[in-house]
Amino acid sequence: MINIDALREKRSLGFRLPRFNRRQQTLITILLMIIFLSSVIVGGALLGNERIATNFETKNLSPSLKHPFGTDWLGRDMLTRTLKGITLSMGVGMLAATVSAFIALILGLLAATMGKWADTVVTWLVDLFLSVPHLVALILIAFALGGGMKGVIIGVAFTHWPSLTRVIRAEVLQLRSAEFIQVSKKMGKSRWWIAVKHILPHLIPQFFIGLMLLFPHAVLHEASITFLGFGLSPHQPAIGIILSESMRYLSTGMWWLAFFPGLSLLIMVRAFDILGDHLHMLMDPHHAHN
Amino acid sequence: MSSKRAMLAVLLVIVLSTMVFTGCAPAKSDNQNTQNITTKEELILAIGSEPEDGFDPTTGWGRYGSPLFQSTLLTRNQDLKIVNDLAVEYKVSDDGLIWTVELRKDAKFSDGQPLTSEDVVYTYNAAAESGSVIDLSVMKSVEAIDHYIVQFTLKQPQSTFVNLLLTLGIVPKHAHGKDYATNPIGSGPFKLVQWDKGQQLIVEANPEYYGSAPAFKKLTFLFLGEDAAFAAAKAGTVDIAYLPPAFGKQAVPGMRLVTLNSVDNRGMMFPVVKAGGTTKEGIPVGNDVTADLAIRKAINFAIDRQALVNGVLEGFGTPAYTVCDGLPWWNPETVIKDGDMEKAKKILSDGGWRDTDGDGILEKDTLKAQFTLIYPSSDQTRQSLAISVADMIKPIGINIAVEGKSWDEIQKMMHSNAVLFGWGSHDPLEMYNLYSSKTAGIGWYNTGFYSNPIIDSYMEKALAAVTEEEALEYWKKAQWDGNTGFSAMGDAPWAWMVNLNHLYLVNEKLDIGQAKIQPHGHGWPITDNIVEWHWNE
Repeated sequence: MINIDALREKRSLGFRLPRFNRRQQTLITILLMIIFLSSVIVGGALLGNERIATNFETKNLSPSLKHPFGTDWLGRDMLTRTLKGITLSMGVGMLAATVSAFIALILGLLAATMGKWADTVVTWLVDLFLSVPHLVALILIAFALGGGMKGVIIGVAFTHWPSLTRVIRAEVLQLRSAEFIQVSKKMGKSRWWIAVKHILPHLIPQFFIGLMLLFPHAVLHEASITFLGFGLSPHQPAIGIILSESMRYLSTGMWWLAFFPGLSLLIMVRAFDILGDHLHMLMDPHHAHN
Repeated sequence: MSSKRAMLAVLLVIVLSTMVFTGCAPAKSDNQNTQNITTKEELILAIGSEPEDGFDPTTGWGRYGSPLFQSTLLTRNQDLKIVNDLAVEYKVSDDGLIWTVELRKDAKFSDGQPLTSEDVVYTYNAAAESGSVIDLSVMKSVEAIDHYIVQFTLKQPQSTFVNLLLTLGIVPKHAHGKDYATNPIGSGPFKLVQWDKGQQLIVEANPEYYGSAPAFKKLTFLFLGEDAAFAAAKAGTVDIAYLPPAFGKQAVPGMRLVTLNSVDNRGMMFPVVKAGGTTKEGIPVGNDVTADLAIRKAINFAIDRQALVNGVLEGFGTPAYTVCDGLPWWNPETVIKDGDMEKAKKILSDGGWRDTDGDGILEKDTLKAQFTLIYPSSDQTRQSLAISVADMIKPIGINIAVEGKSWDEIQKMMHSNAVLFGWGSHDPLEMYNLYSSKTAGIGWYNTGFYSNPIIDSYMEKALAAVTEEEALEYWKKAQWDGNTGFSAMGDAPWAWMVNLNHLYLVNEKLDIGQAKIQPHGHGWPITDNIVEWHWNE
């Protein structure tokens, strides 16, 4: 195994990298992703509002050193707008994904520990939500709540829990048949006590990995719903807003308005994806290889 | 999960890149539609939005003139002078109460039935009863004196009544029912053939039309968004397309740019009463910050209107100081020297506004100089104007938060927040409706609850005037009489910003004649002189 891996590495890269084992590689990747993402967040938070104030003298500029992403039709710097937009999107995504993951944790626990009836209800709910496309349910919820930040967060939170719930439920079902649980049960501990003291600690890795993997999903859906006009208000510097606004100007040849923000969104989402996968590998090596 | 996301990512890249490439691709200018036809008899137009309520004049269709399917008693020519259309003569009694109109005898509806005074009486009564935007409350009665003479009796003299004769299209008594809005029959130059809601409207020349026959036998109106209309023009699939000002600098082969002056204005409406009240429906009324005259005046003086025209409208517009710039009832004294930050700051400090906590935003006692400006989120131009004005005003210490909302939401917020509205009409009654205390809180009029008894009395006098000249004098005084008025120098319940030019891309071979100064609503008003349009090979 090791030889083959080493060979493959040699062939693909053509030179020798300092040798790291799997675990070290994973750790380094995680570290790099964290540095990258936090620099985006810090950058977005630190940049002042001056660069996104309207300035008619610098409007419609194509990318240059001064404005690496160009400027828009009101003279706002697109790099600043993109960074701020991504920060906002990440905040929204983070909050929504966390709420979603907690819903999944609670429902998964309930289903697996509170008896048949609870299990039926939760499974039915999961099936129900999985049968409707995410985006449709999301639009319905966000629209019913009148759009805006609140609508998007609640909408994303309420549509992204089912798959994680399934994972957690399966995990709990498996755990329940473990010896130490059976012993605890025989010793007369209550269901609730067992759930909280014995089962919950075992779920923490699943929970965090689930959260990390939910996150890019949440961000993409936030962007798409905002793009479709059911989400955040158009003056907020969200990435979905930037993309939908740019659409109108694409036909005039201002390609940089959509290209860089779209690319940044992709890179950011992919970075989280990689981060989640590697964390998964680190915390749960057996599952990760499946 | 992971592969799904990867798919999504790939898909997004593909979509994005196709958009970019199509955006950059040069337009193919070969116009396949027109190549094989020697005498062009069909036009394809993409000139704007679809009238959702349909084409019934008694509920508001064509209220800015040019109803297309119907015709009106009177009409305005290119110089905005009043001329006859269905009427051959109209007279007003000396007391201004009795209006007598004599109809032409050769007018027929598109179903072949003659148009008589019965139809006119029916139209006006139906419009009065419809409870729509058409305000006929001043009309006491309308009677048919004989087959071709109609007599209107007013409750009190009203000089603006003539505008109803100018804009209300006559509907047939025998064929006006519930489905009229989707299936209009009228005496106008065109008749409806097919209306696919949300897509297109197809009309054909009305053979019964009494005026000169239009040069085109068939028109197809496509209801496209701004960017789609522009793309269609680039691809050569439409003969005329409306254009947002931001695209005005784009050259399209085979098309020329037509810019029409308009009174289609944009401005910021301020609630002028203090917060606390509600309307009958429970919607909050009033805003403590904009109720302060110093704030409203300072904003009016601080806005650099020419910069907005150049920056947001790409130069396709003019600065607006009132709701009616350039119209006969406009008072030119209302033009102020704007973009004057020093004057704005002085007005604010004289008004008692100081920056006591050093955060760049002024305070007066415990009140902070900040409020929300709402704009309809679907309108790109208004959004740009709102954002630009908020940034423009910031240096004088007023913080305007900008928010985009739907029209439904705006209705619930428009009495307690500043709103970026647009108006502009050939009828001074609109000005009355915007500033009269009687229309406070009614519909979209006077949403800021502005009221000033002196101005009310000027405007009532203008309405009651028998002659046009007398009315004009009072309309001007209502704007500014040397002491007060509703313009920026007086009570400043609005900060008007710009008049838009209406931009169209027109096929080089299409001659659209001489259009008059356009009212509010980009699109339909251009069809006003469609009978004069012709094709030059």
